[in-house]
Amino acid sequence: MQDKPIILKVLDIVSILLLGVSTYLALVFAPTELVMGAVQRVFYFHIGTAWTALLGFLLAAVFSVIFLISKDLKWDRYQVAAIEVSLVFFLITIVLGSIWARPAWNTWWTWDPRLTTAAVTELIYIAYFMLRQGIDDPDRRARFGAVYALVGGLSAPITFFAIRLFRTIHPVVIGGGNADAQGAFAMTGDMKVAFFFALFTFTVIFVDLFWNRIRLGDLQEKVEQLKLKVTL
Amino acid sequence: MTENIKRATKEIVRSGRKGNFFKAVSAVVWKDLQAEFRSRELFSAMLVFSLLIILIFNFALELDIKTRQSVTAGVLWATFAFAGTLGLNRSMAIEKDRGCLDGLLLAPVDRSAIYFGKVISNLAFMLIVEIIVLPIYSVLYNINLFQPGLLLVILLGSIGYVGVGTLLAAMSVQTRTRDILLPILLFPVVIPVLLAAVKASNGFLTGAEFSEILLPINLLITYDIIFIALAFMVFDSVVEE
Amino acid sequence: MLFLQNTPDTSGYMIAGYAISFIVMALYVASMAMRSRNLNQDLSTLEEMDQAAGQQKIKAEKDAPKTVTKTNGKK
Repeated sequence: MQDKPIILKVLDIVSILLLGVSTYLALVFAPTELVMGAVQRVFYFHIGTAWTALLGFLLAAVFSVIFLISKDLKWDRYQVAAIEVSLVFFLITIVLGSIWARPAWNTWWTWDPRLTTAAVTELIYIAYFMLRQGIDDPDRRARFGAVYALVGGLSAPITFFAIRLFRTIHPVVIGGGNADAQGAFAMTGDMKVAFFFALFTFTVIFVDLFWNRIRLGDLQEKVEQLKLKVTL
Repeated sequence: MTENIKRATKEIVRSGRKGNFFKAVSAVVWKDLQAEFRSRELFSAMLVFSLLIILIFNFALELDIKTRQSVTAGVLWATFAFAGTLGLNRSMAIEKDRGCLDGLLLAPVDRSAIYFGKVISNLAFMLIVEIIVLPIYSVLYNINLFQPGLLLVILLGSIGYVGVGTLLAAMSVQTRTRDILLPILLFPVVIPVLLAAVKASNGFLTGAEFSEILLPINLLITYDIIFIALAFMVFDSVVEE
Repeated sequence: MLFLQNTPDTSGYMIAGYAISFIVMALYVASMAMRSRNLNQDLSTLEEMDQAAGQQKIKAEKDAPKTVTKTNGKK
């Protein structure tokens, strides 16, 4: 296998460093929020992973279109990489959202538009991989994956707006607090620093993981082709 | 029976050659309706399944007179969603098993004619089942479900459901996991339809303000247009060999 | 706005949140590393097989031309 390009090795290290700094900013530098206490700090990672994952899913939909037009399988490998990394990030988003909800509203889950749409979206992309798993022909697998990533990518935002418009949220709250408020708090200057830095950090980490995953896909492709050659 | 299908497929090829899109579509629809009229396998399975689901809901939820009102829309749409997958799965599986799909693909017909034909026939089956389920539910729970508004919502919702479902079923039937995969693919993606349909149905059943109901109906129409347009554009990629 | 005198101690949740984040990311990186290692092993095995097959081919070609020249010679 080709050696890792130096840029990627550097990016690996930079990602880890940024993660460290971001953690420090989030845990130590940023002030403690008055109403919720320490748990509010998960917010920085929650939004960091959320935004990058959403962009990742959007990117995947773009790759769908490019692949369906160009028929070049490399766009399929890019799509798989984007969706896989986004899936992992979004899982973190959902779990952190749930962890935030518990002390804030005394419930592990709220059926508010964002969290609900997140769960639906996660299921869509899990279904994406289940679809791919059931297909052996690489070309068909790529085509079907592209179609479903498009369908899913279009449907998720519509789901979000639909829930926002129609769902009268009955607060599934036993303790105090209004589910609609969604734990709103005003961000002070230091919080904003931690917030934006986390966004930046997770973008870098996403690019790093994305690139690594693409290389993995390329390696997989190489192995598949060699397998075919050797068994013929 | 295969004779009829062969005849129908020839008809589709002929109309495709003449370059008449609508003729091809109606040939596909007619083939499906004819086949179903003879065997009634899809239709009976969907109908019985629907009734059983309603039965299950009766035990699953406390449908006393008060809750019945608020829960009817949801129960109906859950029923339609589950029975719908049955119909979609079977409809596509029949195509594949009888080799009709291959026959259709050989025809110089624009692939989307096949898509529209399947959507219309799947929609027809789903609507027929729904039309029968409605009075039965009305009788069982003493609710009048024959309101024009509700019928409109059922039409729009079914169109969206079948529009996306046909596309996804065409894919899932070509995988190893076949039947099991369709609900997994379909349900997360069709949630806006269920959401809007339930909201609108509820609105009509509880006599809400029309302005409130207009919003979900708009969403249904928007969804239907977006996804049928999308399916029209990508269906080629799904059935090419 | 309620004036809270005590900020609740929710640090347990915070720790859980950060722990999960790191663990999930670490697991994903580990998964990629393992897959990469397996694929590299497969690749070297396959490359060996490919080389062996290539050498067999060369051997076969060496044996074949003898029969051809024989018939040519007879003509």
